[in-house]
Amino acid sequence: MNLLEVRNISKDFVKNDDSVQNVLSDISFTVKRGKCFSIIGPNGSGKTTLLRILGLVENPTDGKILYLGKEMTNLSRKEKTKFRRRISFVRQKPVVMNSSVEKNIAYGLKVRGVEEREIQQKIEEIIEVVGLKGLEKKNARSLSGGEMQRVAIAMNFILNPEIYLLDEIFQNLDSMNVKLLDDFIMKIKQDKEKTIIMSTHDPFEAIKYADKIAVLNNGQIAQIGTPNEIFTAPKDEFTAQFVGYENILYGIAELDKGTGLSQIKVSDLIITASSQQEGEVKVCIRPESISLGKNPPSSTSLRNTFRGYIEKIRDLGNICQLIVNCNSEKFLTTITTLSLRNLELEIGSEVFISFKATDVKCV
Amino acid sequence: MVNEFIDGIIEAFVLLFSFDLEVWGIILLSLRVSGTAIFVATLVSLPIGSFIALREFRGKKALTNLINTFMGFPPVVAGLLIFLLLSKSGPLGSLGLLYSPTAMIVAQLFLAIPIIIGTSKAAIESINPDLKETILNLGANERQLWWELIKESKKSIIAGILVAFGQAISEVGAVMIVGGNIRWNTRTFTTSIVLQTRMGEFGMAMALGLILIIISFSLNYILTHLQMRDI
Repeated sequence: MNLLEVRNISKDFVKNDDSVQNVLSDISFTVKRGKCFSIIGPNGSGKTTLLRILGLVENPTDGKILYLGKEMTNLSRKEKTKFRRRISFVRQKPVVMNSSVEKNIAYGLKVRGVEEREIQQKIEEIIEVVGLKGLEKKNARSLSGGEMQRVAIAMNFILNPEIYLLDEIFQNLDSMNVKLLDDFIMKIKQDKEKTIIMSTHDPFEAIKYADKIAVLNNGQIAQIGTPNEIFTAPKDEFTAQFVGYENILYGIAELDKGTGLSQIKVSDLIITASSQQEGEVKVCIRPESISLGKNPPSSTSLRNTFRGYIEKIRDLGNICQLIVNCNSEKFLTTITTLSLRNLELEIGSEVFISFKATDVKCV
Repeated sequence: MVNEFIDGIIEAFVLLFSFDLEVWGIILLSLRVSGTAIFVATLVSLPIGSFIALREFRGKKALTNLINTFMGFPPVVAGLLIFLLLSKSGPLGSLGLLYSPTAMIVAQLFLAIPIIIGTSKAAIESINPDLKETILNLGANERQLWWELIKESKKSIIAGILVAFGQAISEVGAVMIVGGNIRWNTRTFTTSIVLQTRMGEFGMAMALGLILIIISFSLNYILTHLQMRDI
């Protein structure tokens, strides 16, 4: 059974002059336990409103949310509180209470009635992790923006909830906090009982964390699918333009200490990347970075060359998109229709694709 | 005229520091009546004010308008209404409260409640909505949210309570009507000042006026202090 099911949610806001602004319309999707679901879309597309509705702090105008098949949207206040205690909601702009750092971090546990001794122990642990040692007694409102973000992170992650709602949390973060959050999210992703729903407008963030992506445009879902489906086969122009085309491959990286380059094993292929990587990675290569020829290129700086055959040709007018199958890994690439004709390429033709190590982006 | 003023001030100090029983009786009664009225009004108004601020319901706009109207309700008219309510032939006449300190407390309650409801409602409504949602998302139930928001806006709420107290203790029309300005019984600062001035007893009037000014000055001092300091 799906952990969460969003069914035909729509939201209208009535503005002060009584005009109605439609923010979400007919949103439906499902989220499985243990997965990371990413909502991607530009600013003003309705991401935050959608997360607020999922966090039960905003009522949808229409539609419902089901948690393990049970409707959440029409619960009593008391039952809503109970459901909210299964969720953590990390906001884009952190808000803290007018009390000490310690009290802020303890708040969620305190309202849940956790024992004082246990709270104290958990606070000490998390304060160490997020690097707020020495600031425990300070008023949280007097902290710098970056420190306040760390308080907000600690406040939510200390609760160890079943579902995490993360609203553009990498926005405006300093690099230390990016690392901190990345560690937290990677740890949560390993726990198969924990579910993440995150919004972002950064395609690479979605590729890095998401198992499933929904593209939101103007309050409507433009496309839902795996990162691969979204980035290699966008359904409409908006998605294609907003997320961009991207080849996404899953591999295991090994750093070559001698050259400083990474060798990434993607099924039977070894891809060379210029960034230093180790362990499981997702490899992104823009289709326009991949060049195509009938023979392998000689004496160039292209470190990656693979042999394959053309599996699919999509004619887009003056340019064509090709899917090239190399040892059953599929690469999306684009060439001009003119080149396609000059090279006399057709489905099934044997080709060589090549790209530079510096064009390989790992997330 | 100038002589009378100086004489008045001298007599005021004499009355104060000779611990004149009547003067001190009036002071204590005024403080007791207004203090009780404000205490009860706060207990009643805080929950109502925050309820109106936090919940959406039908008629909220109308209720808000009503409260705002009552915040500036003319005290004399309030006194008249309470008088009619408590007079022998009135609906609550059987309680025999007219011309008693209790009647004055009721009149001041009537004036203070809308002020405290109005200010606490405004204080809670002015809190950043993101903070409200953050507290809810951290798992607070309604009572816990309510308490947190009261703490968050305590400055403005205390300011509202002090304003209500200042209004209550310096008000004259309503307490005059329902209290009757009875010596040793329902005579307060303000009713006494009116009476003494009429009788030409400026010393007594000045003494009471001085204390009243000191009280409102202290209230204002606390207010400014509160607004400047982080509590």
